[in-house]
Amino acid sequence: MTIRDDLKTVKDPYSGEDYVVVPPIVPDVAVIHGLKGDRFGGVTVLGARNDRLLATAARKTIAVVEALVEPDEVLPGLQEVYVAPLHIDAVVVAPGGAHPTACPGRYEADATHLSAYVAAAKDAAAFRAYLDTYIFGPADHDSYLDAVGFARP
Amino acid sequence: MEDKPVHPYERMIGAIALLLNDGEFAATGTLSPIPAAGCLLAQHTHAPHLAPMIYGDPANRISEGLHEFFGFAQRGGIDVFFLSGIQIDQRGSINLSVIGDYGKPKLRLPGGAGSAMLYSLSRRTILFTMTHTKKLFVPKVDFVNATAFDGDVRTPWRRGGLSHVVTPLGVMKFDREKKRLALDYVFTGGTVAQVVDNTGFDLDVAGREIPVVDPLDGESLRVLRGPVLDKLRTIYPLVCRMVWG
Repeated sequence: MTIRDDLKTVKDPYSGEDYVVVPPIVPDVAVIHGLKGDRFGGVTVLGARNDRLLATAARKTIAVVEALVEPDEVLPGLQEVYVAPLHIDAVVVAPGGAHPTACPGRYEADATHLSAYVAAAKDAAAFRAYLDTYIFGPADHDSYLDAVGFARP
Repeated sequence: MEDKPVHPYERMIGAIALLLNDGEFAATGTLSPIPAAGCLLAQHTHAPHLAPMIYGDPANRISEGLHEFFGFAQRGGIDVFFLSGIQIDQRGSINLSVIGDYGKPKLRLPGGAGSAMLYSLSRRTILFTMTHTKKLFVPKVDFVNATAFDGDVRTPWRRGGLSHVVTPLGVMKFDREKKRLALDYVFTGGTVAQVVDNTGFDLDVAGREIPVVDPLDGESLRVLRGPVLDKLRTIYPLVCRMVWG
């Protein structure tokens, strides 16, 4: 509370104890990664992540999905939960869209690429080269996946 | 594989397993492969009813996200939890936010997430670290994310606190009377002097006989490299490849 003047205390009306309360975070935009999505905005996301919470909190939510499917196929799998179109403003179909992080069940994190990123991030010139090679260089997501050597299923 | 020398992380896993009791509900959070393995080893050896909740275990799915897990902790469901920090001090406080001054940090980190709450709400907490250096074990953390015990202000939700700290060199025990950490034992292959030299605070070793112990006997090592590792690979594949190949 010394460094966060937006934290306040309130008295719990049940116990009478004082509690510190935190104002809700309302992101302007949330970008979440899902497995399946349909053209109406229904998506499934990994249940172990907090993507549904993010989608319900943000003013706008963009869902990047591994596959575009028919609405009646947007069914949660073993590790997935459903997020209703109510919370989704755009669906972007980008298989491999979580790279270089993992999409558990589909592909693992790319440890080699992440190490290269960490090394490049230590130095301005190296980071510039990283951005040119992987971010500004590739014309589209497909070219990005080619550039990083992503093995498509 | 049985002939491969014992990795310090394997001794940590053995030490964590020994700290867990049968029938406890132990839970591990994100990025916690060593505690996860410790729970699994305990479950496969002396604590068959340990019932670990390993966050991210595909075979032990929760309905949704960390907030469900936090709610469960608030309700009092967790007996043992595991935390870590970029800095840990003698009082057992952990720092996960900044190195240096908060307003002008040398290093900014993701932050404490649920650590403050879980440190209070779990019946006991074991800290684990992947290194043992003076940079990590400091006299006083630069920023306190979570505390091992209540200070002058009593928090009504405090249910437990620090029990032990497990590092690649050995185990520290939290002294509840003195409210500070003290060296408990050193792993085989190391020395008390080595631990003292790499810790930035006093470990209360003066006048005490500190044992050198291997927390991992031959049978535990076999179980760890067998069924425990098989299971761990389904949760932490990258870490497992780095440590065990």
